[in-house]
Amino acid sequence: MFESVEEVQQRFRGAHYIASRRIATVVFLAARMGRPVLVEGPAGVGKTELAKTLSEVTARPLIRMQCYEGLDEGKALYEWKYAKQLLYTQLLRDRIGELIADAPSLPEAVSRIAGQDDAFFSYRFLSPRPLLQAIRSDDPVVLLVDEIDKAEPEFEAFLLEVLSDFQVSIPELGTVKARHVPLVVLTSNNARELSDGLKRRCLHLFIDFPAPGDELEIIRLKVPEIPERLARAVVAAVQKIRTLDLRKPPSVSESIDWARSLVILNAQALDPALMESTLTLLVKYEKDLERVKAGLDKILAEVPS
Amino acid sequence: MEERILEFIGDLRRAEMRISTSEALDALAAAAEIGLTDRDTFRTTLATTLVKEARDLETVDRLFNLYFLDLQALGEGVKKALGPEDPRVHEMLDRLVDEENLQLDELTELLMRGQGSEMEMAIRAGGQHAGLERLMYFLQVGYFSRRIADQFDWTAIEQDVERIMALLEARGLDPGQLARIRNYLELRLEAFRRMIRQHVERELERRAYRAGERLTREVLSEKPLFALTPDEVAQMRGVVARLARRIKDALALRQRQEQRGRLDTRRTIRRSLSYGGVPMEVFLRRRHRDKPKLVTICDVSDSVRNASRFMLQLVWSLQECFSRVRSYVFVSEIAEVTQAFRETQVERAIEWALKGAPVDYHCRSDFGYAFSRFAHTELESLDRKTTILVLGDARNNYNDPQAWALRLIRERVKGIIWLNPEGQWGWGIGDSVMPLYAPACDIVRECRTIGQLGEVVDNLVHRWWRRGH
Ligand SMILES: Nc1ncnc2c1ncn2[C@@H]1O[C@H](COP(=O)(O)OP(=O)(O)O)[C@@H](O)[C@H]1O
Ligand SMILES: [Mg+2]
Repeated sequence: MFESVEEVQQRFRGAHYIASRRIATVVFLAARMGRPVLVEGPAGVGKTELAKTLSEVTARPLIRMQCYEGLDEGKALYEWKYAKQLLYTQLLRDRIGELIADAPSLPEAVSRIAGQDDAFFSYRFLSPRPLLQAIRSDDPVVLLVDEIDKAEPEFEAFLLEVLSDFQVSIPELGTVKARHVPLVVLTSNNARELSDGLKRRCLHLFIDFPAPGDELEIIRLKVPEIPERLARAVVAAVQKIRTLDLRKPPSVSESIDWARSLVILNAQALDPALMESTLTLLVKYEKDLERVKAGLDKILAEVPS
Repeated sequence: MEERILEFIGDLRRAEMRISTSEALDALAAAAEIGLTDRDTFRTTLATTLVKEARDLETVDRLFNLYFLDLQALGEGVKKALGPEDPRVHEMLDRLVDEENLQLDELTELLMRGQGSEMEMAIRAGGQHAGLERLMYFLQVGYFSRRIADQFDWTAIEQDVERIMALLEARGLDPGQLARIRNYLELRLEAFRRMIRQHVERELERRAYRAGERLTREVLSEKPLFALTPDEVAQMRGVVARLARRIKDALALRQRQEQRGRLDTRRTIRRSLSYGGVPMEVFLRRRHRDKPKLVTICDVSDSVRNASRFMLQLVWSLQECFSRVRSYVFVSEIAEVTQAFRETQVERAIEWALKGAPVDYHCRSDFGYAFSRFAHTELESLDRKTTILVLGDARNNYNDPQAWALRLIRERVKGIIWLNPEGQWGWGIGDSVMPLYAPACDIVRECRTIGQLGEVVDNLVHRWWRRGH
């Protein structure tokens, strides 16, 4: 899939994703070893985007499973279309009647009906959810299990089973084994600790806020119309703001948003007034805003002009 | 290389990282996949397979630096020692060896053409023969350096050098060129000796680090909580976080085994009535064990503050195990701090609860007053699903113990568990009123160290709530 770490970096960049050497190394290893990657890090640093980009550069369809509280096996794996099954039984009532018309006893009738199980418990009546889709797919896919920390620990234990052998057993249909081991990316915002079992199974990647050089490239890629000077100023300011002890420091997504709006405002450079009026794009909490405003001079002092 | 990686893993384990065999194998496989490469990539390769906690990355980096030399930096060092590269000398020597079909000592070969990494390997192998694992003190560095040096046959090298010089002279090189070549070889020899010493020094550092980490861990788990220094408190946070995770993992596994979906016939049929008896919607029942409600009441006066800190951290890290956690702190006045925990990170919330505004810390502990206030204002919110976890030394400063208040609370709830950070021998002596409170409690435990705290909470999560179910 990839011949080298450099190739990962190049192809990701081609798909407008700046992968640091660390990110590229882990992606390379995951592809080589057929291992899931667990990506942790603050919100907005490109965890989800990493999986999307992986799907893009490998030309493998992306199957996404967004996790939430209360997500269970049924919603992740498959559900029987009970309603459809019932509808069919209703419609086929006459045929069923015929089937059992000459049954000598009730147990005999029951076992004749049971003999028809196959007709009703088949893929026709099954709606596959993301995990089963990923396993049953004829073509290799990228499976994104997004924000796994939002699901409950029990679900995690279940997921681990699936990720361990990429097969699931559906009692009525038997075991389904993956034709191709999917590339799996799990993301977590660290809302809670994940289990050791799951972590053990995965390669681990911690994505932090990007280094200034990488962030500058991201801005250039995502906001191509931005003047170079402004791009540099944006990155310097954001990087400085991250060093203040904020409740929620601005992430890459925020710096992109900010850069975009500055371009819309036709700004060429940063000044205190401009910063004040656009700051809410960067920091969301009232307390954080106050803190940034208080340090505005210091921040601007670090910004190249 | 494999051996080195396995050794490295051994040290990570000793630094309290739990690395499974499968992860160790992954690291080896990944290293093989990635091949010979730059140091950062190699570090990432080990980190991504072995380390699954962002907070451990720092330790890993530190150990990595002690283990896997910065070969590039090393190369630079050698280069600096050797002066500017001299490709002509290189070439000349290579040709000579080829044409004369010279049989040289291994080390001479290494000196003539070796890269830093090969030299390092040779030194490492020498170290194994020299019994470097016995190195313990700084004073032994010189001794071990010599022992490693003794592994190499220096006479053979000198003879080789002389042989080479003679051959070159016979080929008619002028004295200037000859001097340059001799100088080159001698400089390399010297650099090699220096590398040996550096290797021994690094080994010493690595050992010290390793011993230090282990010692801290072991000692801290058994050290009375009140005696921890601020530094140690910071270190213990990691330990408590791991403890919480272990408890949680065990619990999650068990819950998963217990609750699988079953058809909820009653609901399904009831709903089917509106579809003329056809069960269009099917309801699955999850065998749900009611998660317990937990109320913690922590004494946060100086004497037991560390114990409270860790208990709060533990409980809040385990909050998914409970349907609801509420926390109160007191010295004499009692205050609820639940909100802070919801809104901020556990560690910050604890700092706030311990240092911040909620209660006055300068007064003397008064359990009786705290319990009576609690009974007065909170009794209504308690029920049979609630367990109360009290942490305190029951040293009441000769105030009125008001044990009736605790009894009153007990009547409302599922049970009261009291953790006392003071040794059991002191209960009831002086101003300790533990014996007066104990009858109202279901369980009373001594809890002087992290080890004990872990045991109690583990027991609590796994046993206490299962009783009678
Ligand atoms: N390294 C990167 N290269 C390109 N775009 C990035 C990078 N990191 C983040 N982004 C952008 O930041 C935004 C947020 O990324 P996202 O993947 O949703 O974050 P997360 O999943 O970590 O919360 C996206 O618009 C993404 O394009
Ligand atoms: Mg995301």
